[in-house]
Amino acid sequence: MDHKKDRREFLQLTGKAGLSTIVGSAAGINLGVFDLAHAQPGKKVSPFRFAMITDSHLYSGDDHKFDRQLEDAIEQVNSMEIKPDFVLYGGDIAQNGTEDQLAKGRKLLSKLNTKLVLIPGEHDWYVDMGAAWKGMFGQDTWSFDHKGVHFIGMNSILVPDFWTAKQLSPRERMAAMEMLEGPIGGLWGVGEKQLEWLKKDVAKLSPDTPIVTFTHSPLWDYYPRWNFQTVDGPQIREILSKFENFTSIHGHVHQTIYNKVGNMTSIGAMSTSWPWPYPPVKLAYPSSQMNRADPGNEVDGMGTLAVNVKAGGDKLVEYQPFADTLTPFLKKGLKA
Amino acid sequence: MKATFTRTLATALPVIAVAALAAGSAQARDPFSKEELDKQNAKLLELVEQGYNLWHGSNPDMSGNGLACGNCHPDAAASNPQTFPKYIQNMNRVVQWGEMVNWCIQNPQGGKALALESQDMTAMYAYAMNLHRGKPIQPGLASQQTKPIEVKYGKGFPSKPSGIGFDTK
Repeated sequence: MDHKKDRREFLQLTGKAGLSTIVGSAAGINLGVFDLAHAQPGKKVSPFRFAMITDSHLYSGDDHKFDRQLEDAIEQVNSMEIKPDFVLYGGDIAQNGTEDQLAKGRKLLSKLNTKLVLIPGEHDWYVDMGAAWKGMFGQDTWSFDHKGVHFIGMNSILVPDFWTAKQLSPRERMAAMEMLEGPIGGLWGVGEKQLEWLKKDVAKLSPDTPIVTFTHSPLWDYYPRWNFQTVDGPQIREILSKFENFTSIHGHVHQTIYNKVGNMTSIGAMSTSWPWPYPPVKLAYPSSQMNRADPGNEVDGMGTLAVNVKAGGDKLVEYQPFADTLTPFLKKGLKA
Repeated sequence: MKATFTRTLATALPVIAVAALAAGSAQARDPFSKEELDKQNAKLLELVEQGYNLWHGSNPDMSGNGLACGNCHPDAAASNPQTFPKYIQNMNRVVQWGEMVNWCIQNPQGGKALALESQDMTAMYAYAMNLHRGKPIQPGLASQQTKPIEVKYGKGFPSKPSGIGFDTK
């Protein structure tokens, strides 16, 4: 192990935020103490926390273990000492995109004691092209302002039509999209319509407005083979290039992962269903890998995410695992 | 005594060598022809394809809760057949790869184990090994993150494309 490199990465990833965690913990962590050390006068962000739950992949029927794991995630978020102002659900509520699976997810997620915002994943979408999801959860593209931060949610799992010419049934279409390494569906993205919407959405925002985007998939080319990518990620990054503080938070990868591309800091969330292996690519920040999951512990490698937004818009991102999944490095939190 | 033994050996060696050559020529055959090798490879690929299908849920007995091997192991990643046999803590003994597969089938997947000597298990092994070709053999490796091979397109082994969407190569 290269300890010097690890140390460099530690400083790059956690920066002051690593110290603030220690200060916060020692002081019994509250946002007042947290922000005192890092306030950046002149910016209009009030400190707060939000949380993320993602990739529950609920199956049909009662008493599936994934139901319980989503309940664990909800309980974990509801029990956070610092209450999140809202929770993002990052896509893939369902495994097979059926209405009963989505409805089960809605019922379970109703137990959250805070506001919920959602974006879809491919497992939610391809039976009826999002009709049931939209009927239950609303629009798949949205934005809102919260305490000085501009939040954007987009649907990043849209693929070109591969089903009409071959006359695939809705179930066959969904089955093709369900397989991570499925060779049929191809690369997905947000598409022209959402890109146009995004341009208009941020046109009037000043460059010092902190931006947080939520998409199911990462906005950088991590491993396209498994759709660990968004095909129009470069266009999204270009549209948002004027912003000084741009954080992309995504699901889909079922693992801890961190990257920086241009002005974008990208954070991937663990799932509540199962962990995925790291793909065969060289990571810019290999220390952002979690421990190899122990198959003997059925919740190892899973959990939720808490993001502490500080005055000025900088963030400390903390993975909240169900088991002892994090390396000592990850336990310190990541700066965004 | 020593001189006698050496003389005996000197006499016997050519006889042994001729006998060995004769026996060898009786058992030798020409190297496999291209046609024979193609046929053998086609048989193997048939089994790899069968393993791929099983990996992705073609045998409902292997799952009681909808999960297939492919849920957690896309492109057979982290199934690591090249690291077996190894000690598995849950079982408190050194096991072969097929036993680990059966543990996964019975526990995370809630299904019915395959017979270790079954053709289905051989097919699963053929698929997993195919997707780990070129990886160093490291029996016992258990605690590190491992990386799968990079799959460029299709299923990761020669297979007839579906003709749908991206699957055109």
